[in-house]
Amino acid sequence: MPASAGSELRIVGFLCNWCSYGGADTAGVGRFTQPTDLRIIRVPCSGRIDPLFVVKALMGGADGVLVSGCHPRDCHYSQGNFYARRRLEVLKRFLPTLGIDPKRFEYTWVSASEGQRWQSVVTKFTEQIHALGPAPNQCRSAQAPQEAERSAG
Amino acid sequence: MAQAKFLKEADLAAWLGELAKGRKVLVPQKDGDAVVFKPWHEGVKPVLDRQATESPKKAVFPASEKLFRFSYIKDPENPGKVRVELEEPEKPEPALVFGGRPCDARGFLIFDRVYDSPKTRDSYYVARREATAFVTLACPEASNTCFCHAVGSGPADTAGSDALMTPVEGGYVLEAISPKGEELLKSPLLSDAGDKLAQAERVKAQAVESLPPAPDFAGSPEALMARFDDMGFWENASAKCISCGACTYLCPTCYCFSITDEESGMKGVRMRSWDNCMSYQFTLEASGHNPRPTKAHRLKNRVGHKFSYYPLIHKGAIACCGCGRCIKSCPVSVDIREIVTMAIEAAPTAEESAQPQGAKQ
Amino acid sequence: MSVIDELKSAIKAKLSELDLVIGWGPGFDPLHATPLFMRCEKDVDKLLWGPLNVHNPATYLPGLKGKKVGVVVKGCDSRSVIELLQEKLVKREELVIFGAPCAGVIDMGKVRRALGDLDKVNAVSIEGDNVVVTAGGKQHTLPLAEVAADKCGRCRYHNALISDVFVGEHLPPSVEQDDYADVEAFESQSLEERNAYWKREMQRCIRCYACRNACPLCVCRDHCIAQSRDPHWIGQGDNVGDKWMFQMIHAQHLAGRCTECGECQRACPVGIPLLALKRKLNKEIKELFDYEAGVDPNACPPLQSFKVEEEHINERGW
Repeated sequence: MPASAGSELRIVGFLCNWCSYGGADTAGVGRFTQPTDLRIIRVPCSGRIDPLFVVKALMGGADGVLVSGCHPRDCHYSQGNFYARRRLEVLKRFLPTLGIDPKRFEYTWVSASEGQRWQSVVTKFTEQIHALGPAPNQCRSAQAPQEAERSAG
Repeated sequence: MAQAKFLKEADLAAWLGELAKGRKVLVPQKDGDAVVFKPWHEGVKPVLDRQATESPKKAVFPASEKLFRFSYIKDPENPGKVRVELEEPEKPEPALVFGGRPCDARGFLIFDRVYDSPKTRDSYYVARREATAFVTLACPEASNTCFCHAVGSGPADTAGSDALMTPVEGGYVLEAISPKGEELLKSPLLSDAGDKLAQAERVKAQAVESLPPAPDFAGSPEALMARFDDMGFWENASAKCISCGACTYLCPTCYCFSITDEESGMKGVRMRSWDNCMSYQFTLEASGHNPRPTKAHRLKNRVGHKFSYYPLIHKGAIACCGCGRCIKSCPVSVDIREIVTMAIEAAPTAEESAQPQGAKQ
Repeated sequence: MSVIDELKSAIKAKLSELDLVIGWGPGFDPLHATPLFMRCEKDVDKLLWGPLNVHNPATYLPGLKGKKVGVVVKGCDSRSVIELLQEKLVKREELVIFGAPCAGVIDMGKVRRALGDLDKVNAVSIEGDNVVVTAGGKQHTLPLAEVAADKCGRCRYHNALISDVFVGEHLPPSVEQDDYADVEAFESQSLEERNAYWKREMQRCIRCYACRNACPLCVCRDHCIAQSRDPHWIGQGDNVGDKWMFQMIHAQHLAGRCTECGECQRACPVGIPLLALKRKLNKEIKELFDYEAGVDPNACPPLQSFKVEEEHINERGW
């Protein structure tokens, strides 16, 4: 596992229940080796993913965020991923203006039967994040007292 | 007057350097297009020729303040049992607000009656208040939005300040107002004011002359009370208000807050943060009922609190220092002077008050 | 008859069938106009038209649902009205729209930079292509082109795009195409520089939410997720992270809907350049979906629709 040979990074994965979460499961059942940096959050559909989930994760200190859903035309709810695709593409193009490397965020399509594809996606993405290194300290919310102190707190 | 000193313009930075030893000195500084109070450090040139965008309220009443930290500790014997451990807040460091205006310093007198009264004593507020000194700059000239003279103050008001600075040729005349101020003026950089004091007096007199005519707020507590149920009046007065909180957060006298627990895992902070009556959530009750459901109700509260409810319980003191920030920084130029005046002029006759609300419009 | 007189008589002619008409009137000093709610002829006499009409009156429309409302609009304001109609947030039959050609409005920030201070303005007049401001006894002649809001320099919609009554002569667009040069210039900086820029700018945010409340398309108003405790999208601390996160919420919720009226930025009491975030989103949306918000009342906002085959989305082989 070259990706996790060094220290682990914090990667958040939002996976749709019907395809990609199944795909990750298939990869596990097939005992395909995978890097262990990814923390998976299961959502009903990629259409459920508010781009703000991704922003919040990145600003809260995630080193990378991966979204994965059913292939276009294969959405369990017919259209969810079509809406997701537009939102996520806009988000990906928005990130650079904030000074966040757009390579820290990817969205992809993996079906429940594609265990092998899941393995390759997660490995490739983890390697990509490791190449970028840990995210520069985005301002973590809530418990970031040093920020508050600066402005006369 | 205990003493009057003179500070040469050229020595300002050196004096700030002295003051900053052992305490945080907040001075008005350029930040983008705004002028905000930030800690002074070597090389910072305070902006003293105009009123700061924000008041220095956060020096004593931070925008958000840690009340305490807490953590949940699991009992290793019985994992179902969780103990909460509290961590005392740190003591506030000594601070000095330099270059605020008389209205800014006066604002805290309005806080004091609420947070430091014989009945209620807010220990967080009092600790910061005691740790903070004010070297205030007398206003040489009034702005369009100034109305300090209409609320019992003036461009050289010393209330709430420890020392007053008046700009004169070549520097500033400094007058100690309090024992704290006398201490501050012991610096060897300061010389005796001598005849400069007379010059300072002339500057102060000119400032008073530069003020626009004062609106007459006499009778505002009763007049606003009389309009309390006249929602037609308030809908009209608040029509252009967008119900944001810019007025309240820039205001030197608005002191409302809310409390939240910001938790992460097994640790957290109980935080007190600025809140404001222009927000719907401010009075939203747990049941879902909201006694101030519209912006008309909320603006009524803001104006009423300052010019009626507060003076009625605090011997007539108006909870406004006339700095005018709420007018000039309002995105839609809502003018509190105009609203109070409207209420006074609209004082209802006996039969009018007997009529159902909303009749006048 | 001048534009202002024509406007006044047009409004007076319709006033009896309307609950109120929103426009602009004189504010607390000669530089500041203020939104004017006209209910009688005497109110209409106070109406102003010109470069001081900086506010977007469309902001008030969703809150006046159920009333018959007249609204005076500049070109950019009319786009907000169209977007509100597109999203069915206002009803066309409840609106009477009065339009006139707008040659641009001033940016108070630019005037402040020219004067040093806006506190002592005694008189303002518009003389040809100049704004003449007398402040503290000194007269400043400021070319309108220099103190106009940035949005006016790239405006292609000086004339209301939708109106029931239009007075005056149509003005030609300032530019043929918006080239988003400002966005590109900003993005020529390194990622670190951009990140540092936003952190620096967001620091002075006072969380008053004027940006949100001035926005004609922020229609959740009293129910904004920024103030929800569950989910707790943003903490209440005075830190850059939470302040910046709020701007992410605002920007994302405006994606594909923002008409670039610039009210967020204009309303900010501490001058945070918020429009840049929305400009960036609009640039990408234009490229991806060839779409511009608030020009066609019958169009569907791009993030509320999709195509099975997207022409401009390259899924990058993932």
